[in-house]
Amino acid sequence: MKRLKAVIIKEFKHILRDPRSLAVVFIMPLVQIFIFGHVLSFDLKKIETIIIDYDETSLSRELSQRLAASQYYELYFSPEENAAARKDPDRAEQLLRSGKIKQFIIIPAGFARSLNHSPPATLGVTIDGSDSNIANRIYQYNERILREFSLEKSHLPNPIQVNIKMFFNPEISSPYFIIPGLVAVLMVMISALLTSLSIAREKEAGSIHLLFISPLSPAEIILGKTIPYLLVALLDGTIIFLFARFWFGVPFRGSLTILFLFSLIYLICGLSLGILISTVAATQKVAMMVALLATLLPSLFLSGFIFPLESLSPILRSFSYIVPATYFLRIIRGVTLKGAVLSHFLFEGSVLLAMSLFLLSVASLKFQSMRRSGQ
Amino acid sequence: MRLFYLFKKEILEVFRQKEMVAVLFIAPLLQTILLGYVVRTDIQNIPVEIVNLSSSPDAFRLVNRITHSPLFQVTGLHRRPLDYQEIFKKGQAKAVIVFRDEEMTTAPGRLKGASGLAGGKEGPASGNGESGAATLRPASLLPRPSVQILMDGADANSAMIATGYFYGVIKRYLEDLLADQGQQLPLQPQTLIRFNPSLNSIHYMGPGIVALLLTITTMFLTAIALVREKEQQTLDTLLISRLTPVEIFLGKTLPMALIGLVEMTLGIVVVLLLFRIHLRGSLGLLFIAALVFLFSILSVGFLISLISQTQQQALFFSWFTMVLFLMLSGLLTPVENIPSVFQWLVEINPLRYLVKIIREIFLKGNGLAYFWKDLVVMGVVGFVSFFLSLLNFRRSVVR
Repeated sequence: MKRLKAVIIKEFKHILRDPRSLAVVFIMPLVQIFIFGHVLSFDLKKIETIIIDYDETSLSRELSQRLAASQYYELYFSPEENAAARKDPDRAEQLLRSGKIKQFIIIPAGFARSLNHSPPATLGVTIDGSDSNIANRIYQYNERILREFSLEKSHLPNPIQVNIKMFFNPEISSPYFIIPGLVAVLMVMISALLTSLSIAREKEAGSIHLLFISPLSPAEIILGKTIPYLLVALLDGTIIFLFARFWFGVPFRGSLTILFLFSLIYLICGLSLGILISTVAATQKVAMMVALLATLLPSLFLSGFIFPLESLSPILRSFSYIVPATYFLRIIRGVTLKGAVLSHFLFEGSVLLAMSLFLLSVASLKFQSMRRSGQ
Repeated sequence: MRLFYLFKKEILEVFRQKEMVAVLFIAPLLQTILLGYVVRTDIQNIPVEIVNLSSSPDAFRLVNRITHSPLFQVTGLHRRPLDYQEIFKKGQAKAVIVFRDEEMTTAPGRLKGASGLAGGKEGPASGNGESGAATLRPASLLPRPSVQILMDGADANSAMIATGYFYGVIKRYLEDLLADQGQQLPLQPQTLIRFNPSLNSIHYMGPGIVALLLTITTMFLTAIALVREKEQQTLDTLLISRLTPVEIFLGKTLPMALIGLVEMTLGIVVVLLLFRIHLRGSLGLLFIAALVFLFSILSVGFLISLISQTQQQALFFSWFTMVLFLMLSGLLTPVENIPSVFQWLVEINPLRYLVKIIREIFLKGNGLAYFWKDLVVMGVVGFVSFFLSLLNFRRSVVR
């Protein structure tokens, strides 16, 4: 215990000796949360649209207005330009190709007559599919607006009424669900990056041999190198969280103790991952690179932060189970937005704990074998 | 010639450790393949819970359609109201679809009582299914179902996707219903999806992932290039040599550019072959775009290297930049609606331009006329970082 304390103190001095790095560690995630909280959103509004009306009847104008009045669309052309565009349909195609507009809608001549006397009337919609998610949403918006218009004009009864209610997030505010997820993703990256250098640095400086010949056991060294960073990471996590809570007003409906407990486990998990990487890698360069590759993209793509995991095939999904962010994402979203309690997350918590223990033991074993071989 | 020696030294230094080969080429390739499969997956099997409190045949048929649709994975089908919050807290489902009879939900704010009423009322009808419910009233007075979709706002993205799918189900149902009566909706839009008719995101995400990995590896290696020499005190040797700052810049970045190009070629080949993506535009243009992109991110990397004092700082600075580039690239979320205060961040993001150019070359087959401006902006970002590095060179290196 006393020896462990000595390692912890030594490591702390290391951290404090470089206040600039420390500042960087605290400020950067804050800046990121600040920017992303304001910027990231899955909402899609003001889709640039061109409506070319060859019919020019009151009905076709009503339809154009209906589309233009929707919060989703923004007309790219002024009415005068629109009249000019009618003579030059290629222009819309060019604009679509250059990405200036996302769709153009052509109302053919005879549209009103056809709608009133010989339905169905047709309408030509061309959507830029190069971003499939956006295209999908535009398609759905169109369908909805046009169906409503269509039912209204035909006096057919609408057999089904649909209304939507969003739980926990009634204004469907993107920051509310993006920010907790972002906190989860950023925290694992920071913690893994923090420890990824700790042992590799000693290897590069040659001071690792001092550790080898010291009476410290591998577990003491590994733990002694992890614990100081745990404090740094915890402080970092707290600052980020407070910022999310008070700047963005992300609701907090659960218990602070539970969130703290799980954050602790999660951070230990991230730090353990970093320390294992640091033990295995020969130089700081390799360690940093591995830590970046191991945390950045997997935490974003395989955690359910953006892509729903349920769609993945079992093999692909199994990869998501080794990403710590997968578990913590569920926990933090549950605790902040839904007010979930401990019993909802026993599984997630135990997996994170088991992962940390596993990573720490492998790191200790690896350290042990390094010491035996003397390098 | 001097430049060549520095170049050679850097290449040797990168590959001195065998692990670097794995880290620079094998790991990114494996990630490309894995994440490629992830983004290729169509979003389906979204877990939903269904609560049917309605006695109308329409509701029964709709439930039936949802249950049989691959888009949804029905985790539970109930005939009485539930504690919806609890379902979401457990994370059992992303959305709950509740069917009610319309006249019972007309008074807003009294939903609870109304649904309780419905739950008791349709007791005898359950089990008999559609015909049982339909015989309760004359055909003209059949209850109209109203649907309420309750979404888990904590994962609003999935919930919104599920809602979109649900609207699709309703629309088809409506059309079938009208078709049975020999009618159809009077307005039939003909939608044409250009450039990516199958609407699969792998077509732009695949090459996009390659670009991301390229950023991570090469930018980071450049970012630590000078710091490492600072830390190991070999920088002085470099400084007293006759190398000019420009030569040092080139000597440090050219090897990374070369590595980056090899990496990108490998990645693009894998993506093209494995995911059968067609390249509509010119491969030559893609490489030109990649070169300009590499110039800009490597200059940014070099600048980071100059302003950091330790490898750790360089690590965090480049991590910060990478995450910023990545999140604002338009690859993961739309960047069209970003508030104008932050719009400049998108406009100086080289990755955003590369992603855009990749889409244009791969999917639209566009030529240089469409994106030369983007290339220019990327180049300007590169030059600005490059000149900032030169300005800072003496000041930040000699202390």
